[in-house]
Amino acid sequence: MSKLLIFAITIVAMAQDARQIVEESQKRHRSNSQQYEGVLQVFNPNGKNSEKRWQFFRTGNYGESKALLRFVSPPEVKGVALLIVNHTDRASDQWMWLPELQRDRRVALQDRSTRFFGTDFSYEDLEERDVNQSDFTMLGEEAMNGQPCWKIQSVPKKGKTSQYNKIVMWVRKDIYFPVQYDLYAKDQLVRKLNYKRVEKVSGVWSALEMEMLDLKRKGRTVLRSDKLQYNVPLKDELFTLQSLRRGE
Amino acid sequence: MISLSSVSKRFDGKRQVIALDAVNLQIEKGEMVSLVGPSGSGKSTLLNLIGGLDRPSEGDIRIDGTLLGGVSDDELTRIRRDKIGFIFQFFNLLPTLTCLENVSLPLHLRGWPATRINERARELLALVKLEKRLDHLPEELSGGERQRVAIARALSVYPPILLADEPTGNLDSHTGEEILALIRELHERLKATVLIVTHDRGVAEACPRQIALKDGHIVMDKKG
Amino acid sequence: MRLLKLISWQYVRKHLLRTMLTMAGIVLGVAVFVGMHTANQSVLSAFNKTVDRIAGATQLQITAGESGFDEEVLERVQSNPNVRVAVPVIEAVVNLNLKTQSNILVLAVDMTGDRSLREYDLEDGDETVIEDPLVFIAQPDSLMVTREFASANGLAINSKITLSAMDGPRTFTVRGIMKSSGLTSAFGGNLAIMDIYAAQKVFGRNRKFDRIDLAAAEGVSVPELQKQLAATLGPGFEVESPSARGKQFESLSSVYGMLANITSLFALFIGMFIIYNSFAIAVTQRRSEIGIVRALGATRGQIQALFLTESAVLGLVGASAGLLFGLGIARAISASLGNFLGEIYGVAQRADEVSSDPRLLLGALVMGVVTSVIAAWIPARSAASIDPVLALQKGRYQQLSKGENRVRRQMAAVLFVIVFFCLFFAQDRVIFYSGYFLTVIAGLLLVPTLALWLSKAIRPLMKGMRPVEGTLAADSLIQSPRRTSGAVSALALSIALVISLGGMARASYDSINEWMRIALNPDMFLTPTQNVTDRSFRFPASFAETIKQIPGVRLTQVVRNARVLFQGNPVMFVAIDIASLRRESYLPAIQGDSESMYRLAAAGKGFIVSDNFAELYKVKYNEPLQLNTPTGPLSLPVVGIVRDYSDQKGSVLIDRNVYMKYWNDDTINIVRVYLDANTTVAEMRARIEERVAGSTRLFILTNQDLKAYIIKITDQWFGLTYIQLAVAVLVAILGIINTLTVSITDRRRELGVLQAVGALRGQVRRTIWLEAIAIGVVGLLIGLLFGAVALYYSLEMSARDIAGLRLDYTYPWNMAVGLVPVIICAALFAALGPAEQAVRGGLVEALEYE
Repeated sequence: MSKLLIFAITIVAMAQDARQIVEESQKRHRSNSQQYEGVLQVFNPNGKNSEKRWQFFRTGNYGESKALLRFVSPPEVKGVALLIVNHTDRASDQWMWLPELQRDRRVALQDRSTRFFGTDFSYEDLEERDVNQSDFTMLGEEAMNGQPCWKIQSVPKKGKTSQYNKIVMWVRKDIYFPVQYDLYAKDQLVRKLNYKRVEKVSGVWSALEMEMLDLKRKGRTVLRSDKLQYNVPLKDELFTLQSLRRGE
Repeated sequence: MISLSSVSKRFDGKRQVIALDAVNLQIEKGEMVSLVGPSGSGKSTLLNLIGGLDRPSEGDIRIDGTLLGGVSDDELTRIRRDKIGFIFQFFNLLPTLTCLENVSLPLHLRGWPATRINERARELLALVKLEKRLDHLPEELSGGERQRVAIARALSVYPPILLADEPTGNLDSHTGEEILALIRELHERLKATVLIVTHDRGVAEACPRQIALKDGHIVMDKKG
Repeated sequence: MRLLKLISWQYVRKHLLRTMLTMAGIVLGVAVFVGMHTANQSVLSAFNKTVDRIAGATQLQITAGESGFDEEVLERVQSNPNVRVAVPVIEAVVNLNLKTQSNILVLAVDMTGDRSLREYDLEDGDETVIEDPLVFIAQPDSLMVTREFASANGLAINSKITLSAMDGPRTFTVRGIMKSSGLTSAFGGNLAIMDIYAAQKVFGRNRKFDRIDLAAAEGVSVPELQKQLAATLGPGFEVESPSARGKQFESLSSVYGMLANITSLFALFIGMFIIYNSFAIAVTQRRSEIGIVRALGATRGQIQALFLTESAVLGLVGASAGLLFGLGIARAISASLGNFLGEIYGVAQRADEVSSDPRLLLGALVMGVVTSVIAAWIPARSAASIDPVLALQKGRYQQLSKGENRVRRQMAAVLFVIVFFCLFFAQDRVIFYSGYFLTVIAGLLLVPTLALWLSKAIRPLMKGMRPVEGTLAADSLIQSPRRTSGAVSALALSIALVISLGGMARASYDSINEWMRIALNPDMFLTPTQNVTDRSFRFPASFAETIKQIPGVRLTQVVRNARVLFQGNPVMFVAIDIASLRRESYLPAIQGDSESMYRLAAAGKGFIVSDNFAELYKVKYNEPLQLNTPTGPLSLPVVGIVRDYSDQKGSVLIDRNVYMKYWNDDTINIVRVYLDANTTVAEMRARIEERVAGSTRLFILTNQDLKAYIIKITDQWFGLTYIQLAVAVLVAILGIINTLTVSITDRRRELGVLQAVGALRGQVRRTIWLEAIAIGVVGLLIGLLFGAVALYYSLEMSARDIAGLRLDYTYPWNMAVGLVPVIICAALFAALGPAEQAVRGGLVEALEYE
């Protein structure tokens, strides 16, 4: 009886552990603002590849931040901008600016499982998730790319909708940095997200390259961050619809 | 007047019937001839051929010197209406027309002017002693009277030939005699050539010349 | 059954031609019924299919008539927690300048979120469908087409295609090709998808959507959600399941279905007389045969059953032939129907496959059989009453119809008295139609008597013309009313139909011309669409200003017409500056005072409605009209009723300010332009084109153009009714042929005698021709008389139940006179065959014929 009790306590402790680790990880790598030039490469299974570049600005705390993304190339999408406002309690709001039509539009968000503009990311993958939205379980420890990691599973809390019913992540023990996510839908591994080129930039550990693999369509998307800067002064006005419409 | 040389008539059905077989016959102008024979002997066929209602399978028929073979249907009709008057067993009056109209019919068909038609039709009806029945419809007349109208119609243009198919066949004997008498009278007065098909021995014997047919052949031809 | 085979079949075989002619009415009636209804159903089902396919997983659709609604509504809908997904839609049918296809349905959706409702590709993700979704959205010229359309037109990714957009022709780039799926078969595969925000610009919709498609969240009842949304959005919005749109379309095409019914009923009705006629004759001709069978022990019942079975078989064979024929013509009809609906209602629809409802086909068969049996009923009864002894006596006729005419006349008189009383209570629909029906019956009962009188009347005339042929022809009619009255009835009915439709057409043209003279008096009309009934494109409000500033323009009036749901039906609303309308196109009120009508309507204090609207929706002068607008309910009184022919289903005139206020819609369909006295239309056309060239999609119609267009539509409408006429006259001519065929068989001996006593073939032919002409003339005279009555009922019917148009009664004398040569020629034509038959065949048999 008592043995069983001890076992149960251990599980709870480990669970708390897992959550604490994720929370710690988010806390450590949090910055008030962020700016970089992104390069997005989509490798399609049919061999047709594309590359897009943008400028990225972000401000605010993790989970309730605001971000602005503005494409600079190729010419067909130059000027298209996306404003993302994350909320802790619900899905983010997203607006898009279309220079050709000279108007902004709300991005319909009902189906967050669909792919984000032809990449291997889904809309949901771009959201920042508050730790309170999921339950975490420590699965154990496992080395990843030669680095010792915690292997943690997260499952969305009841009432929180997600296309994924399970996410398994590997968090580096030395710097509390996540390096890989396995994303499961209906208990099937559908996507793999790898954080590569993890470096310390302005005192913050960052992955300068993210690679998303879509196992179902067998596509691959690589997102590279150039000229990454943290804690740059960004005005709040930058992250408004007015600013989006100005197209600057 | 009427001349047949080796006239044959066959009916091609499922079974070929030879109604007339190489018949030769000469009837002179002004003769009154009776044609007798059992049913199917070919007497009606002979009459129809002479009247131009039908055409022979073989042989030549001449009416008043005109060869009937080789003329068109309309030409045949013209010969018929100018030379031949028909009297039928069942009278064949048009039920919708009055006596006067029935008698006028052939004259109208010849395109005579109305006044002349009227004159002639009245004259004809007087000839058959029906001058009092001008505007009666056939159904209002007795059988004998109807046949008299039919005779008047047959005489419309005083044709040289009168063909009668069982003219008394549908009448009682007394009336039949009356009709026969009328035909004889007309024959004499008008000098018409008369050919009567009949079953009636009395009628046959009343004619100066009697011809008998059997199985498509003339088996008897006696004069006087 | 054995009797049938033994006796009837022999008769039919001997009279094959006549049997076929007898069936003609049934064949045509059933063919028209099946053809027109199948076409109607096919177009409807194609429409429903398109709706279905396009709807995809959509459970509810939100619309607000044709005016559309603001984008903000979408957010209100999306914020409802019971809505799983809600996406905006704009739909437009766009003319392509391609050889292969003329129209393409453009479905504009929100490309970022629409996939949750519609599957654009069933096989894999969208990468093969859309090359680059971001580019697709970023570039407003992006278009996604179906594989079928692409291959038919030789298009590939990045091909260019020109569509006429609001600002003139515009080149689009194919950036996606859909694989075959449910959706791609909508509208026959002629479907293109574009982004909705680009479509707003291309189709001049401002920041509005036509529709919102939505699906309920899991576990939410759809009817529940429907109620909830209807409540939150307010009464101006319709929240319906996608299939409800089919019902609206159905209401538009219902007039056509009604027409189909009338036409086929007429054909069958006329066919009924031909059958009656044939059977009546057959009974007479076969009396000796019937006598023998009776003498051999057949009962009266068996004889009656024999004839009825014969008629049922005839009906079945005829109906089957009609069925096949009908299905054959359905495709052609459905094409013309699709165009017709497109032209008149601006709802383009194409049926690529003809689908027939088994119930319809079965119904048609039953209809054919029942018609035939009813027609044979009386002849079958008289056949049963044949006395075997009398029948076997050669050369004697048993009078089967003694005293019939007197009884008929008495019955007709009684019916006319009832009809007369019906007229007093004609407000009641049932009484009105009963009156009509009884009038037809009474008329038909009188036909034999009238035909007899007329035949007797024309006998001297015909005798004068042709002493022998004329008399014989007339007598043939007089002597056998049984033989002729069927044909005469059929012909008279057809003529009556022609007169009533012709009269209606003339009255309509007169009224429409008068309306056009007053209401359509501007010098020019500017529209953004080729076709004034198509409202896919609209001008922005500013466009009128641009035009007004062109020198030489005296005045412009802007019109926004849109179908607005009134009591669930799409009704044409015409929003215009009423005060200006009063000054320029003063249509007098037919109910209400004209002056106050215009004053009140201009002040936004009332509606002006068309007389057909008032009639169809039972709306009375001075009564309020309750409407639900996107911004809430609107109730204004009817301040006047005018004669307006803007729309078949009625129209409502409303001041543009009121419309803009309640519908939040300032777009324009038509700009009416009045010119200065010294500016010509040609000059102005050049100036307008110079001013707006290339920047606006524009079609310029001159006054004559528009009038010609309206007349063309009217012609098309009556073109459909002329099909009825053609069918009716055709059946009637077949009736004449039938009667004559019988007549020459009946009178073979008579004709033989005629030839024996010296009639030439030409003379015999002329007798038959004259008989046909006599039937034609008698039928024509009776028909012209009946037509006068039928016209009254047709006008009433049109006012009550078809178009709601009240038209003045004018007898179409021109048409009546014009019919004389037509019918005489038709009758002569009908006589050609029988006349030839009459002079053929041996004289000997004819003389012996009994």
